[in-house]
Amino acid sequence: MSRSPQKPPSPESFLPVPPATFHILLALADGELHGYAIMQDVAQRSDGAVRLGPGTLYGALKRLLAARLVEESGERAPPERDDERRRYYRLTSLGVAVARAEARRLDTIVRAARRKRLIGERPA
Amino acid sequence: MSAERIYRLLLRAYPPAFRAEYGREMVLVFRDQCRDGDTRTVGFWARVVWDIARSAPALRAEATRTVEVIMKLAAIFTVLLAVLALLGAGAEWVAGSKQGMGGPYMLSLLLAAFAFAVLLGAAVAILRRRQQAARLALIASFAMFLAARLLFPWMGIFVQLVGFGLPVALLIALYWPRKASTLGAA
Repeated sequence: MSRSPQKPPSPESFLPVPPATFHILLALADGELHGYAIMQDVAQRSDGAVRLGPGTLYGALKRLLAARLVEESGERAPPERDDERRRYYRLTSLGVAVARAEARRLDTIVRAARRKRLIGERPA
Repeated sequence: MSAERIYRLLLRAYPPAFRAEYGREMVLVFRDQCRDGDTRTVGFWARVVWDIARSAPALRAEATRTVEVIMKLAAIFTVLLAVLALLGAGAEWVAGSKQGMGGPYMLSLLLAAFAFAVLLGAAVAILRRRQQAARLALIASFAMFLAARLLFPWMGIFVQLVGFGLPVALLIALYWPRKASTLGAA
């Protein structure tokens, strides 16, 4: 008897996404990046408030790869540094859907905080 | 000792499989960090150690699957206790037959023996990773033991601990949510 193909998980089943992991998904939303480029993107976007170390980054990438939200897109030397080859990572379609679902979830929370006047109408 | 050599030593905190998969990439990223930062400052090394301290234990726990090991030990413990309780019920049955004990007592003993046999089956199901079968067997064992207890309320404390305590504890462990998110807590 043949088994029916496994149904892909819904993006909502991954929510809430841990903050550091969401930052990685955001960094990869613009396209493929290698590990250090992800770290730099996160640090720049958060004005240095979030600094991922290699352990946190690759621990999260391992889980994202296992959950099929991220995939490896090859190994090559980065153009800015012509030295050793590095692995590049990119979002899968499920990864994009999870990032969107998490962004919507956070947006709902922020709008609720605005209604309760905990934060202003416009970001400070 | 160079900064990279120290970092390679610190990487031993991670599970071997993780190191084999990502160790090289992590060293390359560390090299980049050394190029862009000052490795002679306390802050730099504090960040390095903090990163390892917060990520390595979680990855080690994932690698050893601690919860599964605990469940396996609990199942083996249950097998031993259920066999002991079954032997005790058998001895009671023989003694009760010789002394010509009444019907409710013998029926209670029979129900308790069935409950222990089903409990033994539940523990074997846990060991064979048949969680749904284990849950059903634990509920059946608890119900049978409750019926036995109602028929004969003067049971010993050890027998009651095995008959009531083990099915309840194992059911809680089986229904306990394993993880809030498959993406970890980072």
